[in-house]
Parts: sequence; structure tokens; C-alpha cells
Amino acid sequence: MHEVILQVDGVSKSFPGVRALDSVSFDLRRAEVHALVGENGAGKSTLMKILSGVHQPDSGTIRLKGREVRFHDSTQARSAGISIIYQELNLIPHLSVSANIFIGREPLTWMGALDERRMNADAAAILARLNLRLDPAIRLNRLPISKQQMVEIAKALSFDSEVLIMDEPTSALTESEIDELFTVIHTLRDRGVGIIYISHRLEELKHIVDRISIFRDGRHVSTDDYAALTMGEIVNRMVGRKLENQFPVRRNEPTTEKILEVKGIRREGVLHDISFDLFRGEILGVAGLMGAGRSELARAIFGADPVDGGEVRMRGRRLTVRSPSDSIRAGIAYLSENRKQEGLAVRMEVAENITMANVAEVSSRLGVISRSREMQESRRYVEELTIRTPSLTQVVANLSGGNQQKVVVAKWLFCDSRVLIFDEPTRGIDVGTKFAIYELIERLAREGVGVMMISSELPEVLAMTDRVLVLHEGALAATLVTRATSQEEILHYAAGLGGPAGRPWDARGAAPHKEPT
Amino acid sequence: MTTPRLPSEGAPAVAERGRSGAALDRLLTLGAVIALFAVFSITARNFFTMRSVLSLALQTSTTTLMGIGVTFTIITAGIDLSIGSVVAFTGTIAVMAAIAGVPIWLSWIIGVAFGAFCGLLNGLMITGLKLPPFIATLGMTFVVRGVALTITNANAWPAPEAFGALGNNTLFRTGPQFPGFSYPLLIMVAVALICHFVLRWTRIGRYTVAIGSNEEAARLSGIRVARVKIVSYVLCAALAGLAGVILASRMVTSQPNSATGYELNAIASSVIGGTSLMGGVGTVGGTVIGSFIIGILTVGLTMQGANYFMQQIVIGLVVIGAVAFDQIRRK
Repeated sequence: MHEVILQVDGVSKSFPGVRALDSVSFDLRRAEVHALVGENGAGKSTLMKILSGVHQPDSGTIRLKGREVRFHDSTQARSAGISIIYQELNLIPHLSVSANIFIGREPLTWMGALDERRMNADAAAILARLNLRLDPAIRLNRLPISKQQMVEIAKALSFDSEVLIMDEPTSALTESEIDELFTVIHTLRDRGVGIIYISHRLEELKHIVDRISIFRDGRHVSTDDYAALTMGEIVNRMVGRKLENQFPVRRNEPTTEKILEVKGIRREGVLHDISFDLFRGEILGVAGLMGAGRSELARAIFGADPVDGGEVRMRGRRLTVRSPSDSIRAGIAYLSENRKQEGLAVRMEVAENITMANVAEVSSRLGVISRSREMQESRRYVEELTIRTPSLTQVVANLSGGNQQKVVVAKWLFCDSRVLIFDEPTRGIDVGTKFAIYELIERLAREGVGVMMISSELPEVLAMTDRVLVLHEGALAATLVTRATSQEEILHYAAGLGGPAGRPWDARGAAPHKEPT
Repeated sequence: MTTPRLPSEGAPAVAERGRSGAALDRLLTLGAVIALFAVFSITARNFFTMRSVLSLALQTSTTTLMGIGVTFTIITAGIDLSIGSVVAFTGTIAVMAAIAGVPIWLSWIIGVAFGAFCGLLNGLMITGLKLPPFIATLGMTFVVRGVALTITNANAWPAPEAFGALGNNTLFRTGPQFPGFSYPLLIMVAVALICHFVLRWTRIGRYTVAIGSNEEAARLSGIRVARVKIVSYVLCAALAGLAGVILASRMVTSQPNSATGYELNAIASSVIGGTSLMGGVGTVGGTVIGSFIIGILTVGLTMQGANYFMQQIVIGLVVIGAVAFDQIRRK
């Protein structure tokens, strides 16, 4: 067994309103791949950001090769030998591979010019250590994402990193690229590098992981040899939280009246033949891992992205959706996960945002807006949804996240939407306001709207929905009745494992990433 | 339940500008105009006379028309660099039409229509071919200028005398002591009022701001982004066409080489008036004030004997200073 290279002891970290890490301990050995798993909000990212110097711990110690370290920024962590590779790569597309590897510390000739030749030679040497055949002089954006990721790894290696943190490294890769990545990870491990591997894709861990640590709600739950745990045990430990009174009492009753029918909707490489119905008064959850196609499904129905086939029916009538304006007119609303980028014009007023999707309602036939009607209508929604704002003319940027979310809801209610698709409605919203958002969703369903709720928070899905669609890699893996299911079952389907009692993924052969055909 | 009038909790200490902030800005720039006016009235003799004020307004009116138009495109986070050339082109077209025997009033309309057509092409390039507005309108600058030079053979053609009415006639003239309101001034006032109304109080105006503020949010709200953008470019170039016809009318000749760099004056007016090149922010009133700041500076400095080069330096500093002041104040 190898020596411990990185030792974390009793590290805590709080952000305003959240205790992100609560006295967490963790160790990483040389020449091991150590998986870190947990649900969203379990504290994985916070720990990684502390290890890589982005955040500083409130208390606790970090020892690297026995010496206590304290990083003030990521440059310090990197020069000490800890590198992190984020899901979103930090590379410059228009520069060459070698220029990316040596950016900020380019070798110079005696004249002070860039020493391209040396840079390329050094880069080639590093790439060779990874057994990669890659031209160091090629421009980065001519490489596929998987190769770009290799460049990130090579860059980390060029700092002589002994600890490498990889955050969801496979999320953007194809199956064969994943194999290649695993080969490189093995090469690194055999060279004595300790690797922390964060992934939501539980099924891929068995190929590379030596030990696994499970986090939950900012606490460290357990660390074991991977071989000693079953998949079921891992999932149980990830989930095992008892639900408190975070959710309102649900009184909405799904009717048998189909309000939205989706048949065989597909988009090349993104969505594969998804069909389902949504009933009036129902809250339908949409679960799945990152990249499973949840938002893409919503955007396809809404007309925000083009589709390659399938049909959408609204109250029995087939819709021709070429752009969002068509679906909006039919009564469909999409509340995007990125409120600020896609949902709001944050520099515009509350009232202007509320009426944005239906200005016609408050204007004359010639298109002249009646300010008094606009104010009157938006005041109604501000009061009804208890949006906290000093005035209707306040710019939305000045409101809190929860109130911004309510403004988006108000916008769609003002369109008289009959189907509301919420995409991660409580992301980035504090606990108190979450309850208000849940109440609102429940009330909408009770009043006869059809609600779809995309969520990564399984407790939220279980508490707030009537049925759940579980997506896996762009396909519908299961449609479950919420009352009769569990987090474990949802997670199993989401991970592509089939139901807990159903087929283990091995049954489908040695290719866990393959699409079920 | 909270009443909507309570101050929101956790609002950032530095409030982003709301409507009241914009009104304050307008007040500040208006104050600058008055201050400038006062300074020149004291230092330059004959500056504050009815005659010179009206002449200033006449000279400023065409830049203001162009500035108002370009403000619409800048609010959508675009730009129109072609309007200087469009001015020369449309003036030329109108004169050539009049020479060819088209009724004078119709030749004016033809000029404006050709301007609108240039804007339509700009809009289609930007929304259809997805060209950056800078590139599309830069290209249009050369094309339109080239066409104007070609059809006139680069000559200044004299128009029929009646063609000059639009640029040179006045209303309410009472004699030498009151020269009357010139048509261009009246047109400018009417256009400014209409455009202010359109931008502030109509759906198309609201959509223009929304697109500049957050194009994706606007699209996902069902706003037909392409259509709105095209309208803004058509409006912009049509107003440039109007400015072109007025200028040609004032000279009573076609001037295919005229108006070079006018687009920069128009953009400067808009920026001094508080329009943000990032989009989503801007008012017609601000642009009118901005254009008058430039106008007053030009006339005032001229009357003080400062040469053209000095005026250029001062105007440049004002553009930089106005925006820098705005940045500093916002922090």
C-alpha cells in the first residue's frame, strides 16, 4: 500500500446561509484513483475548491506530503503540486497545444521572443509520457473535446502535479474517448500520481477506482475500498437523509385529461424518441444525471431548439412549433434553469419583465403600451406571488434570486400558460424561499395547470411530483409513479442500470455507455 | 403577506440604475447643455441671439436625425456604420429623381425610401446571414458610396430650384428679427417626439430594449428577434435617408462625396446621450441632447475663433469624458 500524499482533517467551510462542509476528513494515497461521490450539494465541489486554493477553509488542516499547507489561490496550489481539471476546460481555443500547456510561463529565446521550438519539444515530451500521439503545434480548437481534455491533463503534468483532481471528466466524452481517458488515468496512476475522481456516473467507477469516499450534506459519510461496496450500498449512503418538513402539503390532484402529449420527439445525438403525456393538474418530475437531456427535452418541446422529429399535442391539437412564440401562443411556458441568462432582462423593470412575453395584452391594437394597465396587471402578480420589490419599476437585477424566480413565474402566468416547464426551479435559491416556490408550483397544479419539473434534487422530485420521467443519455429510461418509487430506484435508472430488481448493467455486456437500442 | 412597496431585503448596496437613474442622467446632460450655452453666451458675442440659436438648431437637425436612428440599432446591441454613406446616396438619388422629372415631393420620398431599403439590406444581412452588425454595415458603407459616385459620375448635379424648399424654407418668419423655424428643425422635432414615443411606449420599442438587454431571454419570451432588429435597421437608415434628402435640399445639388464621417457624429451624439454600446440602454431624448452638445460646441468654438482642428479635439474629449464620467459615477 502506498503512502498517504494528501491528508484533510476536520475541514469546515460555511457560506452565507449554508454550511457547505462540516468537519470533513479525507485522505488520498500515491498511485490511487479515489472516487468522490455524493448528490448535488454534498460538498464535493467545495472540498475540491479548497484543495485547489479557490476557497480557504474556515477551520481544519490540509497536509500535503506530511507538511501542512494553506493556499491563498489556485496558483499556489498548483505550484505545490495539486492541479484540478474542471468540467469546463480552461483553455484558449485559438492557441496551439503547446502554447496552452505553457501559458503564462512561456520559454523565451535570448532575444525575448517566444521559444516556440522549445515549447513544442517540451510539450511533445510531456505528451509522450502520457502515451499520447498529439501534434503540439496544432491549434487547440481543431481537436475534439476529449483531446482538449488530454491537453489539460498534460498541462497539469507539466507542473509536476502529484495530486490531480478531475471533476466529471467523462461528461462530454463518447464511449471510446472514455476508454482512452481511462488509459491515460491508469498511466498517471502507475507513475505515482494520486487522482481524485468526481463523477455522477456511478457505473463507470468500477473501471478505474481504487477507493471511494461518499459525501452527504457537507459531511463525509464513509471511505472504503471500492471492491468492498455494492452499488446499492453506495446509492444508499449517498441518499440516506431523512426528509424534514421542507415541502408543502400536496393537494393537487392529477386529472385524466391529457393536456400535453409528446410523441417520439428526437434530436440527433441529444434526444432519442421520447414519448410521454402530461395531465391537467399533474406535477411531472423529470430526473436524470447531468447531460441526460432533461433541459434539452424541455427546450425541444418549447421550440427553443430545433428537433429532428416527433410531435407535440396540446389538448389534443397538434402543434407546429418553429420558435418559442408558437409554443407560447399554444400555452406552453419554459422557465429556464439559467434565469439571468435566459429568463430575465435583469436591467429592465419588474413590470417590464412580467409583461415581456405578452405585451400585446397591455397594449392597443396599434402596439401602444398602456402603462397604467401594465402597472395594474403586474401589481396583481407581484401581490399574488408576494414578490418582494420596492416598486414595480425596480430593475430586476436588484431582487434576490427567489424573487427573480417569482418574476419569471409571473411572466408566464401572465401569458395564461397551461403547461409550465420548470427547469431546476430552486437552484441557487435559499431554503426559505424554496418552500415558497414549492407552494407556488403546487398551487399552479391545483388550479389546473400541467407542470413539468426538471430537477437534480431527488428529495424535491419525490416530494413534489406525481410521476417521474427518468432520462438516461437522451432516452427515456423509465416512467415511475412517485408514490411507489424511491431515490434508489430513480438513481439506478438514471445511471443506466435498470431498476434495482431489474437488469444490472453487466447484463447488457461490457459496454455500459452504450445507448439501449 | 408583504405589500409590494416594502424595500426588498438584501438588495445590493450599489443599486443598478432604474428609470429614476436614467432621468437623473438626462437631467445631468441637459444641465451640461445649459452650462455650455451659458459659457458661450458670455464669452462669445452674438452667440445668444435668436438668429444664431435657430441657425444652430438647423445645423444640428440632420445629425440629430441620424443619431436618433442609430440609437435604435445601438440599443439592440448593434451598430450602423453605413448611415454617413446612406446620407450621400439618398441625397443623390433624390436629386437625380428630381432632375429626371419626378415631382419634387415624390423625389424626397424616393430618397427616404432608398434609405429604408439600405436598412432592410443591413437588417437581412445581420439576421439572415448572421453577420456582425459592424461588418454588415461597414460593407454597406462602401457599396452605397460607390453607387452614389457611379450614378453621378462623381459630379455635383444641380437640382431644380424647388428641390431646395425642404432644406431652406421656414415657418412663421416675421422678418429679419425672427427668421422663422426652418423645416429641418421642425422635422427633427417631430421625428424626435415620434421616436421617443415609439421607443418608450410601444411594443416594438419595448422589444428593441429587451433584445439589447438579453437577446436569449427575449427570444424565449416569444419575441421575434429578427423582425425587431430589421425594423431598427430600417428605421435607422430611413432617418439617414431623411437627413440625406434634407442636406441635398439645403445645397440644392447632389453631393455624392458629402457626409463622410457623419455616422461617427451620430454615434457620438448617441453615446454622449447615455446610450450603451452593450445594448439595452438608451433614450431618444438623451441622443437629442448629445447631438446638441456637439452642435453647441462646434458653433460656439467657431464663434470664439477656434479652428476646425481644435473643435475636433474638444468633441473627442467630450465623448471620452462623458462616458468616463458615467462609468465613475456608477461605481
